[in-house]
Amino acid sequence: MGFRNRKAGNGIKGNKGSKLNRQVRKGKKISWGYLFPSLAGVLLFFVLPFLVVIYYSLVDNPINREFVFLDNFVRVATNKAFQQAAFNTLKFSVVAVPLAVILSLLLAMMLDYKIPFRSQFRTAFLSPMMVPVASIILIWQVLFHYNGIVNDFIGLFGADKIDWLKSSHAQVVIVILFLWKNLGYNMILFMAALGSIPKDILEVAILESATPFQIFWHIKIRYLSSTILFVTIMSLINSFKVFREIYLLTGNYPYDTIYMMQHFMNNAFAQLDYQKLSAAAIMMSIVMVIIIGILFLTENYFGRDVEG
Amino acid sequence: MKKGMKDKMKREIAFLLAGVMMLGLTACGKGGSGNDSQAQKEFYYLPEYKELQMDVNYISNILPQGDVLFLIGFSWNEETEESTGKMYRYDLISDTCEEMILPLPENASVQNAVIDSEENLLMIVNRYEEIAGDTMTEDEDTEESYENVEYENYVELWQISGQDAAMISRTDIKSVFDDPDNSYVQNMTIDSKDTIYFSDGNSNIYLMDKNGNKLGKIETGTDWIDALFATKEGDVYLKTWGETGQEIKQVRPDSKSIGEAVKSDNIKGTGYNQNYYTGLEKGVLISDSNGVFAYDFENDTREYFFDWLDADLNSDDVEIMGAMSDGRFFVILHEYTEDKTEYSLVLLKKTPASEVPEKEEIVFGAMWLDQDMRKNIIDFNKSSNEYHISVKTYDTDDYNAGLTQFNNDITSGNGPDIIDISNLDYKQYASKGVFEDLNSYMERDNIKKEDYLENVFEAYEVEGRLYAVIPQFYINTTVAKTSKVGDATGWTLSEMLDFVESSEAENVFRYGSRDSIFYYCIYNNIDEFIDWETGECSFNSDDFIRVLTFAAKFPEEPDYNDTGEGISSLLRSDKLLLMQTSLSSVQEYQMYNGLFGEKVSYIGFPNSERKGNLIQPAGGSVALNAKSKHKDGAWEFIKVLISDEYQQSLVKEHGGWGFPIKKSALDKQFEIDMTPDYYEDENGEKVEQPKTSWGYDDFDMDIYAATQEEVDAVKKIIDSAEICAGLVNEELTNIITEETAPFFKGQKTAKETADIIQNRIQIYVKENS
Amino acid sequence: MKKRKRRKVRRMFLKVAMITLIAACFAVLFLMPIVLTVTNSFMASSEISSNYGQVFATTDTGGKTYISEKVNLKFIPDMVSFSQYITVLFKSPEYLFKFWNSVILVVPIVVFQLAVASGAAYGFTRFRGKLKEVIFFVYIILMLMPYQVTLVPNYLVSEWLNILDTKWAIWLPGIFSPFAVFMLTKYMRRIPASVMEAAQIDGAGEWQIFKSICMPLCKGALCSVAILIFIDYWNMVEQPLILLSDPEMHPLSVFLSKINEGEIGLAFAVATIYMVPPILVFLYGEDYLVEGITYQGGIKG
Repeated sequence: MGFRNRKAGNGIKGNKGSKLNRQVRKGKKISWGYLFPSLAGVLLFFVLPFLVVIYYSLVDNPINREFVFLDNFVRVATNKAFQQAAFNTLKFSVVAVPLAVILSLLLAMMLDYKIPFRSQFRTAFLSPMMVPVASIILIWQVLFHYNGIVNDFIGLFGADKIDWLKSSHAQVVIVILFLWKNLGYNMILFMAALGSIPKDILEVAILESATPFQIFWHIKIRYLSSTILFVTIMSLINSFKVFREIYLLTGNYPYDTIYMMQHFMNNAFAQLDYQKLSAAAIMMSIVMVIIIGILFLTENYFGRDVEG
Repeated sequence: MKKGMKDKMKREIAFLLAGVMMLGLTACGKGGSGNDSQAQKEFYYLPEYKELQMDVNYISNILPQGDVLFLIGFSWNEETEESTGKMYRYDLISDTCEEMILPLPENASVQNAVIDSEENLLMIVNRYEEIAGDTMTEDEDTEESYENVEYENYVELWQISGQDAAMISRTDIKSVFDDPDNSYVQNMTIDSKDTIYFSDGNSNIYLMDKNGNKLGKIETGTDWIDALFATKEGDVYLKTWGETGQEIKQVRPDSKSIGEAVKSDNIKGTGYNQNYYTGLEKGVLISDSNGVFAYDFENDTREYFFDWLDADLNSDDVEIMGAMSDGRFFVILHEYTEDKTEYSLVLLKKTPASEVPEKEEIVFGAMWLDQDMRKNIIDFNKSSNEYHISVKTYDTDDYNAGLTQFNNDITSGNGPDIIDISNLDYKQYASKGVFEDLNSYMERDNIKKEDYLENVFEAYEVEGRLYAVIPQFYINTTVAKTSKVGDATGWTLSEMLDFVESSEAENVFRYGSRDSIFYYCIYNNIDEFIDWETGECSFNSDDFIRVLTFAAKFPEEPDYNDTGEGISSLLRSDKLLLMQTSLSSVQEYQMYNGLFGEKVSYIGFPNSERKGNLIQPAGGSVALNAKSKHKDGAWEFIKVLISDEYQQSLVKEHGGWGFPIKKSALDKQFEIDMTPDYYEDENGEKVEQPKTSWGYDDFDMDIYAATQEEVDAVKKIIDSAEICAGLVNEELTNIITEETAPFFKGQKTAKETADIIQNRIQIYVKENS
Repeated sequence: MKKRKRRKVRRMFLKVAMITLIAACFAVLFLMPIVLTVTNSFMASSEISSNYGQVFATTDTGGKTYISEKVNLKFIPDMVSFSQYITVLFKSPEYLFKFWNSVILVVPIVVFQLAVASGAAYGFTRFRGKLKEVIFFVYIILMLMPYQVTLVPNYLVSEWLNILDTKWAIWLPGIFSPFAVFMLTKYMRRIPASVMEAAQIDGAGEWQIFKSICMPLCKGALCSVAILIFIDYWNMVEQPLILLSDPEMHPLSVFLSKINEGEIGLAFAVATIYMVPPILVFLYGEDYLVEGITYQGGIKG
């Protein structure tokens, strides 16, 4: 994906006549016109608010509005709860996102085999997307409550009850919740990508008696690389959305191992501490810009790799 | 793609778009209802005060009929010791009042009354008569013979002429009731066909004509009929309480049934405590705690007239009101002052906003409006030529939604100018700069803090900045026998637990529950477990685990079905050791001494510095919004609350419901408390008589003038209070309630529970320190 | 030779069987919550409270109802009861009213977000330059912002535009959300430049290229994005809570997340009803969801 088409775009400019050039220039202007409605809306409803966030992060509070420069950032960065939230969120993303990518790829490859009921399985894996948040919460409570089913189940094997949501095991529960919700969509992204690998290349590989591992590693992964990055971005987005479930499941102040960045921000919001909220948000955005930047660069690199 | 598919999709998108547009249209049509009281006001209803020229001691019924008011009352003749029933016919338009004597004997009382279409009064009268012929002779001991007298009770329907108060007819209607011995009329109204509707104590509705003939009975199937009223169209409705709150249902005389609850939101006002009056042209006139509007049942429309506060009237005082044919409204106010109750008449005239003298508008915001504060605001509005205070309350069904709305208003700079912080965690707001420091205002107006109880001011100070002012307060405390707990005004948690653990749990608090133990031991001094400086918590400490184990001995819900033994005897016999209560007057202090039968200590709530007595605002506590554009006006109002005049008005002859914060007023109160009341006995000698009497539960005692010693003791208790009460953080109580539930069910140990609480609260503290 | 082949066939069969089995296990786990929600909605409230009493401590049982010692996970009710549905559908119209609120709030967002986004995606795809790449990057960053960050400023902007407490406060930010732009741009950029180039040389205007070439090729993608937007907004909770102070206007999703523990049976029934539109959307659009991606792959291959 990504910047792959730039070459083609430049091509037009280079070798066509002046009439086409005029048309290109006109088209360029028009293409901005297509962008305009969205651009205006995004400026008003997303960029402008974000500028307000930046402003808030630099004043002592929204009422006095006295500039304090980086005081809020220092205050937030040294806040122990913020540090913990940052650590937990990072830990969650580092564990959950790769798991979501790998497991959904495995699921996709399973369904890539000629097994019966393929489309039924696909629907089953997608079904969590349809369940309303509130039912998810109800079900998860039934499962992972101290008196819940999972404890009953492990009790059959003589294990002690585990307080899933109120101990360090809580991280496991939310990772499972996240995977359950998101594997399905990731999986169909991979299925599509697997389906688009040129058949002839695979046939040639089989004829040259490449091992399945070699086929997987040298051919499939190569062709899947851009999808992997796309799935990573989608999983990253969704890993931030899973907070809604965590919040409804465990409240404002959960067990400290699942206290996330969004808890910190949500609570700051509830307490009117907008400068704290804004400073945290900006720090988070900076980290986000770095991560996305790295992903883009990687995509660029791999994208060229596949084509070349 | 195939072409068929494309067309199908096109069609579908077009269909969708059409649907969306239709939705948009219906949405536009529906907007703008319910919020009419907030809109820019074009008209005001200005009050004109009238005197009710009546010579009665007591008014029993006020009945409006168009522009005429009928009042039924009694006057007491001191000399003859007889009471006379009177009826007044007050013509509101011509402002004339006719007095008539009602043929009501002394042994009769009016339960309820309505007016029929011929302007005659239909009254349900209770009358008793001695049964003659009993074995009663003059010789016997009078007291005993008195007991032997039996009474026969009559319930009658009287028809009284509205013109001359002459009796038209009188019918016994006992037989109308299912249970004639329980003939109580709760609500009563009359429809356009002169059918009388009334409900008994069992929520049955009876129909009767004006000659007292029973026309039928309707079983309503509800527990409680709150009101019964007729519309202008002649239909009758009842108001009751259902699952979703207030419900209005039609009473159908033909089918003898009750209709479905009226679903419309138009009938819901913004306030509570709705009253219903037959409309002038249509439907019904509804008055609630906030304002007055008309509702038309046929077309489901409403017309909002005015907010009580805009008319400078206190809705708490409104006895009855109605619309007049000339567009005015009449209101009968019923004000309770210390010794007497007073009725007055107010006529409200619609006046364009342009003709109303312009005043600077100040907004008073509160979670809910305190009664005293409402009165103060109205008084301020009446007396001020410069400022007018309007009230914004955030009392939605969902407390948190109201709080969110308040927070949003504050952040966006639309916050109220004056904020009642009674139900807010004011320190949190203060630390964010929401409130103005009032010290500079005090200095500017030369109000000296040393004239006031400084410890009370200090309780509302953070780092030398004064954020709120309270006019009066009482002390939240816990009392126990001095012989048991010693003569202190505070104790630490471990001292308290040492004391109670040596006794049976049911003896510690009356109606004690797990929750009440947590409130007593933890919530009122939660900072004992949290060090906000270092961010450390100690919810896994031995003290906390001790509280958990101690609380487990108590029932989940308080057990109100106890032996029925009175509290005084429980306390005296040590079956009850502690009593959580409040102290609001010297008289109350005297009462506790009597209740316990010996010297009492005000030990208060556990606190590591033994500062156990808490300051509880009575009558609101106000802060000034730092972003207000009307700070001077707002301060003018706040200043009234601590002004000498207002503070002196809080001094009450028989003890108040709180202590004024001004020292001179408090001293005056103490002086009155110490001044004995006398009466002259038959020998002309002065004999001290009780100033008042105080009771608690089944205990009653006469209170005589206080001694200097008693007053000094109260002063000492007041001086010991340094912390304001009522700032329990909901976030923390929620965590504790949630996590202790499995412990109380026996599923987790106290240690495990304490560890989880520690873990979760630790996050809260880290975040906020 | 023949024997070896048969062994190979048998190995293949075993492998397929194994994979099918594993897939089936996963499928059961994935389907369990949805099945539980539906079947439990047909349980009488007494059965619900006896099954889940240990988890959802209801205070109003007062010892009257039996609470099982352990949590019972039941897929099939002891007795099928429609009482929850009768309550939801007939006795308390508020649920249906809130359901309608959801529809009113979500449908315009889906339709207009797609319209705005397909234009923007086309703008991003055609004539790419440095500036556009930077803007696109900004879009991605904004898309990744957690809602808590923009909540307060969003409130301020809504107030400033005087749309607070109206549906527009939900609609407008929804319509201009960068998510669909990101997704559609990603898809559109996979359309080989040569396709549009060819049309351009043939003298087609931008509108014609957009309408006749770009949009038909993106139909699958549009559908799949529509499904994702629909699901996302159908489950929104935070936005209405902050931007609509009148609970009457709240969608069912907000209401559902507030149903208290005493009414679990009701919650299951409401949730089941609430699942109907997403399920319909899925059944109708699932193939598009997959096709939207595979189609592009086909062109590339």
